[in-house]
Amino acid sequence: MAQIPNLDNAPINLTSIRDQSQKELITILKNIRGKKCLVIDPKLGGSLSLIVQTSLLKEHGVELRHLTAEPIQTECTKVVYLVRAQIDLMKFICSHVHTDVSKGLQREYFVYFVPRRAVACEKILEEEKIHHLMTIGEYPLYIVPLDEDVLSFELDLGFKECSVDGDMSSLWHIAKAIHKLEFAFGLIPNVRAKGKASVRVADILNRMQAEEPVNSSDMGVPEINTLILLDREVDMVTPMCSQLTYEGLLDEFLRVNNGAVELDSSVMGVQQEGKKIKVPLNSSDKLFKEIRDLNFEVVVQVLRQKATSMKQDYTEMTTTTQSVSELKDFVKKLNSLPEMTRHINLAQHLSTFTSKPSFLGWLDMEHTIVEAQSYDICFEYIEEMIHKQEPLVSVLRLLILFSVTNAGLPKKNFDYLRRELLHSYGFEHMATLNGLEKAGLLRKQESKSNWLTVKRALQLVVEDTDTANPNDISYVFSGYAPLSIRLVQQAVRSGWRPVEEILKLLPGPHSEAKRSGFASSPSLETLPGTPSLDKVGDGRRSLVLVVFIGGVTFAEISALRFLSAQEGMAYELIVGTTKIISGHTLTETFIEKL
Amino acid sequence: MAAVSVAAEWQLLYNRYYRKPEIYSMQWKNKVDLSRNKVACAPFGGPIAVIRDDSKIVQLYAESALRKLRIFNSAGVQIAETVWKNPGGRLIGMGWTDDQILVCVTQDGTVYRYNIHAEVIESNVSMGQECFEHSVVECVFWGNGMVCINEANQLFCIPDFKNPNPIKLADPNLEELPLCIAVIEPQYTMSGNVEVLLAVEDHVLLVEEDGIQQVGAGVGPLQKMVVSRNGKLLASFTHDGRLLVMSTDFSKIIFENSCETALPPEQLAWCGMDSVLLYWDDMLLMVGPYGDPVRYLYDEPIILIPECDGVRILTNASMEFLQRVPDSTVSIFKIGSTLPAALLFDALDHFDRRSAKADENLRLIRSSLPEAVEACIDAAGHEFDVSRQRTLLRAASYGQAFSSHFQRDRFQEMSKTLRVLNAVRNHDIGIPLTIQQYKLLTPSVLVGRLINAHQHVLALRISEYLGMNQEVVIMHWACAKITASLAIPDASLLEILLDKLRICKGISYAAVAAHADKSGRRKLAAMLVEHEPRSSKQVPLLLSIGEEDTALSKATESGDTDLVYLVLFHIWQKRPALELFGTIQARPLARDLFISYARCYKHEFLKDFFLSTGQLQDVSFLLWKESWELAKNPMASKGSPLHGPRIKLIEKAQSLFAETKEHTFESKAAEEHAKLLRMQHELEVTTKQAIFVDSSISDTIRTCIVLGNHRAAMKVRTEFKVSEKRWYWLKVFALATIRDWDALEKFSREKRPPIGYRPFVEACVDADEKGEALKYIPKLADPRERAEAYARIGMAKEAADAASQAKDGELLGRLKLSFAQNAAASSIFDTLKDRLSFQGS
Repeated sequence: MAQIPNLDNAPINLTSIRDQSQKELITILKNIRGKKCLVIDPKLGGSLSLIVQTSLLKEHGVELRHLTAEPIQTECTKVVYLVRAQIDLMKFICSHVHTDVSKGLQREYFVYFVPRRAVACEKILEEEKIHHLMTIGEYPLYIVPLDEDVLSFELDLGFKECSVDGDMSSLWHIAKAIHKLEFAFGLIPNVRAKGKASVRVADILNRMQAEEPVNSSDMGVPEINTLILLDREVDMVTPMCSQLTYEGLLDEFLRVNNGAVELDSSVMGVQQEGKKIKVPLNSSDKLFKEIRDLNFEVVVQVLRQKATSMKQDYTEMTTTTQSVSELKDFVKKLNSLPEMTRHINLAQHLSTFTSKPSFLGWLDMEHTIVEAQSYDICFEYIEEMIHKQEPLVSVLRLLILFSVTNAGLPKKNFDYLRRELLHSYGFEHMATLNGLEKAGLLRKQESKSNWLTVKRALQLVVEDTDTANPNDISYVFSGYAPLSIRLVQQAVRSGWRPVEEILKLLPGPHSEAKRSGFASSPSLETLPGTPSLDKVGDGRRSLVLVVFIGGVTFAEISALRFLSAQEGMAYELIVGTTKIISGHTLTETFIEKL
Repeated sequence: MAAVSVAAEWQLLYNRYYRKPEIYSMQWKNKVDLSRNKVACAPFGGPIAVIRDDSKIVQLYAESALRKLRIFNSAGVQIAETVWKNPGGRLIGMGWTDDQILVCVTQDGTVYRYNIHAEVIESNVSMGQECFEHSVVECVFWGNGMVCINEANQLFCIPDFKNPNPIKLADPNLEELPLCIAVIEPQYTMSGNVEVLLAVEDHVLLVEEDGIQQVGAGVGPLQKMVVSRNGKLLASFTHDGRLLVMSTDFSKIIFENSCETALPPEQLAWCGMDSVLLYWDDMLLMVGPYGDPVRYLYDEPIILIPECDGVRILTNASMEFLQRVPDSTVSIFKIGSTLPAALLFDALDHFDRRSAKADENLRLIRSSLPEAVEACIDAAGHEFDVSRQRTLLRAASYGQAFSSHFQRDRFQEMSKTLRVLNAVRNHDIGIPLTIQQYKLLTPSVLVGRLINAHQHVLALRISEYLGMNQEVVIMHWACAKITASLAIPDASLLEILLDKLRICKGISYAAVAAHADKSGRRKLAAMLVEHEPRSSKQVPLLLSIGEEDTALSKATESGDTDLVYLVLFHIWQKRPALELFGTIQARPLARDLFISYARCYKHEFLKDFFLSTGQLQDVSFLLWKESWELAKNPMASKGSPLHGPRIKLIEKAQSLFAETKEHTFESKAAEEHAKLLRMQHELEVTTKQAIFVDSSISDTIRTCIVLGNHRAAMKVRTEFKVSEKRWYWLKVFALATIRDWDALEKFSREKRPPIGYRPFVEACVDADEKGEALKYIPKLADPRERAEAYARIGMAKEAADAASQAKDGELLGRLKLSFAQNAAASSIFDTLKDRLSFQGS
């Protein structure tokens, strides 16, 4: 099965966006005649694997390489660098060119920046005196559709850059990506934002509209009705909790990268010593689509049910005589066999992790921290983890959860735990701690925490969740409703007004705006979110685009899908994000590599 | 009837009609005498440049001896004038380029260029030393280039005035000057380069840049040559009085005509593609391929100006246009014409006079009505006379009323075109274009020429009328206005400009502002830039006019970090470091971007920044990081000299932290780090194993214990005040790693472990030592813990007992699951669970 997701059933025409990106890349390659060596930075390569098949690139006379510190080994005289506009990547390019020059190799160099040229990167090339050797262009890849209802802006380090380095470049890129969507699907009339970065993005989006307006008079009713922007910062609790949906758990334990997991082939039942196998995971896999958002407990049951019914059908087949059409039906069902095998193998592999008592203990502790009623127990647990030198990322994760729910730690505990961390894991993590402090994730307590108030007001902790037949989004964490999604629920239903008081308790400003610019809009005077006026011509529901600035977890996406499927829900929800994250990946971005 | 008088003005050349209406009565009213002046006329109804001919001896009537170069439009209205003060001897050649630049070539080979307002365009071009030494004798101009010949019979050319670089053509090896010169334009030659035809003796030489060729042998001697408009035909006058028209490759003769005299004509010109005009002192002869030539008599000097569809004839008093009468016009106005178009025209006349004959005519042509209407419209397009245009159009609309299958668009299109043409033909504008010339020139070029002549209002109206982009017009107007309004103060000029600029959405205020800046009006530029909505255009312009602070603000507001970097680097290059620091310290975004960039690339400079702004803790972090960079050097951990510098860096960091007074934690940490490195270094020396440096304190302790060096471990413990709890964890796991169970047991007995016995149990279980684990499990205080522990080593009964002691039903349930495989075990759990539930727990 392909890693590139099938987008035919997407609520808006994402295929055209992806095809456009594909075409642009091919055009770039075609404009350079002859054989060329295409050097891609690895992260970008991952994103590209969701847009275009490598075979298609090779058809255009391209030798593929990854960008590393090692010089390029190739016979080609034309070297094309396709890189994100990051300063640190420039060093590799410079060293390559210098090596080539010192060896006397005559090559033609091209650099294509993604998604656009950057003054800072070009300055480095100038300082290294290789700018004049380069032909520079850009490949405007702003949006990568990860699945029918998920768009990624591929801005890995956005959160860290904004919160620690003060580099707001990612915000402009997000606004640009949304603006591009508006050119395709119409000006989005309602914009709601919560969080410093979100409000800024909304502001930049308005500026872009003024500078380069979307001509809304020749489009009909815009396909996307509302844009909701949320800072990750507003809800740091959710990503730090262990996700309990099927897809969430796959990410937690096996790391889902660009829509696939990589495993030892033995796990999937393929006997090949030492080889790794890539398993794609997207909605083209029908079984996956059915079970990805379910709580893991239920998944096991579902798979068992399916296996049993398959077995039943089989026995029926062999024992009774079947008509040709019944035979055909059975064979069709057999087609789902590879999918079933795949997920049974995966689920089994996951259970080896989830059945460990340490995992259960961990979940328990997360729950306790979120309840925020027993400070000392949590403190001691974390302290012990540090003493035992448990993996740093896991420790930091719990620590962040702890700090956020308590609005920081009292100075004594703060200094104490930090010292223990440095002693246990080494002084190189001083920079990490400094970064976390700057981002407000692990800091001294300055004022009382209002987590309890928020928790109560938004009903974040729900007792007695029925994971098999959930009636609330809290099933994704078996009893904790993601704060971010509760906010989305509110925003979609009736805007920010009813929850103003609560919003004030959460970090960052908030804003709500109605944007004009389209000729005939009947709903200008009515309250936002009124269902009846927001249908797109052919009876489809209108869309709400929820953008997470800083990252979103699979569990949150599952929660959004759950909301979207509820009866009485007037909108269909699609997700945009800077990157898909998990507690681990988000925490890792803060760990300084020295 | 009107029709008769129209045709009476025509002349018949074999079977074609020609007409020569007067388009203008020249407005210069006797101020210009063509016989005394050198004149250059631009095609497509372009301007006329006039300057007194200094090769002629004339009597001056109350004129200054200094010559004036005057530029008129085709109607004789003066556009501009300037005094000719250029040195360089006699003016040899003068001509207009396609871009409406007047090129003047003097004897010494200098090329002066003027625009339509008689302003000199900077940088004269020189044709070279050879032209300077041997005077230029003759010049031939075409569209965008020129060829000249000097006394030494060498040819030079400028192929394109857009890049006026003179080129020397191949040496024709002549002993004397050629009889005449003609040029085939580059766009019509196969090679794309200009080809010069020289009539020498009895043949013609074809001269190009890299070679000469003899063509047309025996055809000469030719006294005059001129190439047709499409570069394919050559009209020439032979020494024995014949007009010879050949193809330009001299392969065939199209026709030849004996003229009455062997004297070469003063001017030879093509009239469209159909006939050739020859002009002698008082007679203009028009010769066609067949039939007798037509004669026109003139008693004053004339100048022939060839156009694509005819020839303009300029005299002192008038401007006429000689053209072949278009077919449609012929069909209507020819005497005795019974073609449908004529009948339709007639019908209109009858209709106007309310005669019933109108209807009769219409009935006759009913089936050919569409062609008749079309012909009327077409003919209207070819008329200069407005009333005649109107009549023809009325005839067309009259016919259209009775015809169902007609295209209304054609009518509207023609009306539009005629309105535009009539507007530009007006005296004040003086561009007498025919409809064919207009189509060839294209409306946008026309608008461009109007702008060039500063006829902005008309240009704007025309571009609006024809639906063209008005931006070009308004931009040019704005720039011209700025240049011309030096006296008007900034604020009021701004108002005037904004008033018009607002008309056009999306116009580049930045470009207008740039022009203002170039004209030296920086403040005005700054004011204009404010209105530019696109920050990507605004910011670079602000930088170029020196408004760096505003640029930085605008860039920050826009949220586009690329622009902020642009401004940042600009300021970095221009201003000294301290100023840069001061500027960005006040702006968080710029400062942070600077830090991100400098961190990657300009470490030392960044340190200077932090020091100057008093952010000592940031310097400390940088120093600390540098120490790690040193560590990556493979020599460092081998106790080589790099080790010392590393520690020094860390100690420096520590002292800086201490200075800040808010970073005591970091200061202490740096201190400990330095201490640790020293200790680790010593350990490596004593144990001769390079495994200590850069591990953490906990790891160091563990390693020491594992190596059996308990004293060292204790030393580390005391030095860094390791807590009891942590010490116990570390020691337990270290001992378990080396599987020293005896030592572990001894350790457990030293005193009551502050962390309880759970670590001991865990260590044993993890190491798969069930026996050892059993030593500690009973010591666990919490029965729950005991239950879990027993379960982990597979002792179901004990686990169940412990769990029931804890009275924890839920625990029982969970533990049962872990024994799912073992039926016997599960049943134990079940019984106990039931028992518990009866007890109501």
